[in-house]
Amino acid sequence: MTEFDTRFEDTGERRRTSDAPLSIHDLLDGETVQSIAQEAWSALVGDDEFLVPLPGGLPDDALSSWVEIVGPWTGTVVLTCGRSTAEALSRALLKEHAPPVLEPEDIEDALGELANVVGGNVKAVLPGPSVLGLPEVGSAPTAGSPADTCRVDLLWRAQSLTISVQGAAGALTDPHENNQNEVPL
Amino acid sequence: MRALVIDDSRAMRRIVTGILEGLGYEVQQAGDGREGLDVLDTGWIPDLVCVDWNMPVMDGLQFVSAVRSNPAWRSVTIMMVTSESEHTQIVRALAAGAHEYVIKPFTADAIRDKLALLGLLPEEAVL
Repeated sequence: MTEFDTRFEDTGERRRTSDAPLSIHDLLDGETVQSIAQEAWSALVGDDEFLVPLPGGLPDDALSSWVEIVGPWTGTVVLTCGRSTAEALSRALLKEHAPPVLEPEDIEDALGELANVVGGNVKAVLPGPSVLGLPEVGSAPTAGSPADTCRVDLLWRAQSLTISVQGAAGALTDPHENNQNEVPL
Repeated sequence: MRALVIDDSRAMRRIVTGILEGLGYEVQQAGDGREGLDVLDTGWIPDLVCVDWNMPVMDGLQFVSAVRSNPAWRSVTIMMVTSESEHTQIVRALAAGAHEYVIKPFTADAIRDKLALLGLLPEEAVL
């Protein structure tokens, strides 16, 4: 198969321009996101590292990493946790390869790679073809419509983190947000 | 045996390098495909290249194509190590000239198994 063939391979996916935008809730659920994250944690952070689906408050110094997915569904996969959690995650990820002193760049890089791995595997369960962006780290990007956001709240070593698969702002409008445009009968 | 690890993530470079050094490889690192080609241009020709797909400057697929277009680098075995797990992406990488494909997240055992399949486990790692 040539590169041309693979690039334009018929995936069987057909959508009309008049089709309603895809909502993330039509494509995956929180259990799937948690399962993907758990697989990443087990392989990269440690065999006996578990993500527990319990909500907990994020600290004020929360740090986010995210990757963009562009395709039939467009949005971002965002991993958010406190800075101390991010540092602990970085040390767990690097294990014996961690430098004695972790620089902020090391922590951001490790958190970005975790978002990259989770995001890549989220992309795999979404309809394709899609393109995965490079990881970014900082304050979380603005969330889109709640109707197009799948968020899981987790605890790792009793510390809170969230993973949010959120549609691009404006990609899908919550019908309840547009009530002001409805003409009363 | 020599290996070149190309990934824009410093953490992932450290992890893959640690696995390969533990198996007995001498390892060099590069942060993107362009830097990887620069290493090859020095004449340091590895037995194995582990390369990520999504990277700035030059991505893994462009790197594979560049290596395969140079007869001097024909002996290099290329293993893509990436979070791109869609079937079409795997086919594209193999069609471009990669020999193996490891999907992130991976374990050290998964890397070792792939190297065994490729016949690239150093003797000290087999014993």
